[in-house]
Amino acid sequence: MTPYLAGWRLGLLRTLRSPGDLSVRIGFFAIILVVMSALWGAAIDASGGQLEGYTHSSLLWYVFAAQTAVLGVRPRSVEEIGDEIGGGTIAIQMLRPVSVVGLRMAIDLGEACARLAVAFVAGAALTWLFAGPPPSAAALAMAAPAVVLGAAANIASSHAFGGVAFWVLDAKSTWFLYQKLIFLPGGMLIPLDILPRPLEVISLLLPFATMAYAPGKIASGDANPLLLLWQVGWLAALVAIAAAVFAAGERRLQVLGG
Amino acid sequence: MTTVTATLRASLADAVANRNSFWFQVSVMIVNDGTWIVFWVLFFHQVGTLHGWQTQDVIVLFSMLMTSAGAALGLLANSRRIGHLAADGELDETLVLPVGPLSHILTSRIDSANMGDLLFGPVLFAAAGHPTPERAAVFLLGSVAGSVVLVGFLVACGALTLFVGGRGEQADLGFNAILIFASYPLDLFGGATKVLLFTAVPAAFVTGLPSELVRSFDPARALLLVAVAAFFAALGWVLFQLGLRNYSSGSIWTR
Repeated sequence: MTPYLAGWRLGLLRTLRSPGDLSVRIGFFAIILVVMSALWGAAIDASGGQLEGYTHSSLLWYVFAAQTAVLGVRPRSVEEIGDEIGGGTIAIQMLRPVSVVGLRMAIDLGEACARLAVAFVAGAALTWLFAGPPPSAAALAMAAPAVVLGAAANIASSHAFGGVAFWVLDAKSTWFLYQKLIFLPGGMLIPLDILPRPLEVISLLLPFATMAYAPGKIASGDANPLLLLWQVGWLAALVAIAAAVFAAGERRLQVLGG
Repeated sequence: MTTVTATLRASLADAVANRNSFWFQVSVMIVNDGTWIVFWVLFFHQVGTLHGWQTQDVIVLFSMLMTSAGAALGLLANSRRIGHLAADGELDETLVLPVGPLSHILTSRIDSANMGDLLFGPVLFAAAGHPTPERAAVFLLGSVAGSVVLVGFLVACGALTLFVGGRGEQADLGFNAILIFASYPLDLFGGATKVLLFTAVPAAFVTGLPSELVRSFDPARALLLVAVAAFFAALGWVLFQLGLRNYSSGSIWTR
């Protein structure tokens, strides 16, 4: 078994063996769905039954997939990466004969897969309850890999963002900013199609849209395989960026004697 | 100077000891808050009016939320950590002191980032909440009452860990629930959800009712808000005191 596969398995099992944490996340997810159902239901009613092509049902299935993809990733992972770099723990991880960022991402992805599996099943059941069946079976089936790709892109991006701590040691609060990039340009709070056109175009050019908007769009009924390809492309780019940031940062840490 | 004031002053001094870090975190939180305002502006730009709510009403609601949450989670940062502290056996260091344990725990840590909320909330209200002397007074009353409800609720949720065990998950879920529900206009919710917001998860008393009072003051509702704040303060204190009887030392001092 490669160390990365072992790391993925470790993350997966560790999360599955923490039922308390999982139950809090599912409870949190249920609350989000209740709130979003009320908000978007009222918005659709106020807009005459449709909003930029979204119906109440398709919008709630959008919210389900976008939220699932984001909630699968630990919200404070950027802060944790920053703490490990700032506190020097990263120097210990560098002693292992494997890529620090590669192993970290494998473990995080294992954890995310456990959360995504539980959240996807529970969230789909709740959304079905609030909004009726999904717009199409194909869309729901395609949403499953889309949320995994979205979470993977989020993890890679978190590492690229958190790696800033190699240069700015006090990067603790930057996770707030990172989170908001996924909330708005990422499409977690509001589908990008509903934004004013210039903001929509800018958001679509950024990688954050692959982390929430793409899975949401697919689950809302747009079962377009190109959306998955779009996610794969950005995922590859983000992994390369994270690797480059850590490689440069680790060289800098060695120069400083860490 | 009372013990509580002295502890709070020491916590504040500790938080601002690294000035650059403190102001950086405050600034980041203000940008974070600004993102929510942008969301609501975009939302109402698309939707228009929602159950009688417009952009400016939501801005008042958010000013209230930031001020209340800033006081509860910034000045009294441990209010959301009672469950974790109990689970990790970290109440020992307070229990050996000749002070009221709850007041000492609440005032012994300040969260710099949430201080950004406390600073930004009133500024946002002053800038976009159409402040008049009457509205400002009601805003102040609502923010104080909302903070008390929030702290009382979070302490009560944290104290549940002392009764049922766990790692503080009860407080985490309560924290997430009340903040999410408090971030949205009360009129969006109906039926069982609305009942929940006035009882088990009292988000309605953190932002909903206070911001309605700013819009249209009603003495009877204001009295209700004050009474509910007193109830949650008492609930948090009683549950914490009763829960302490179940607390087992973490032996932190002997490790």
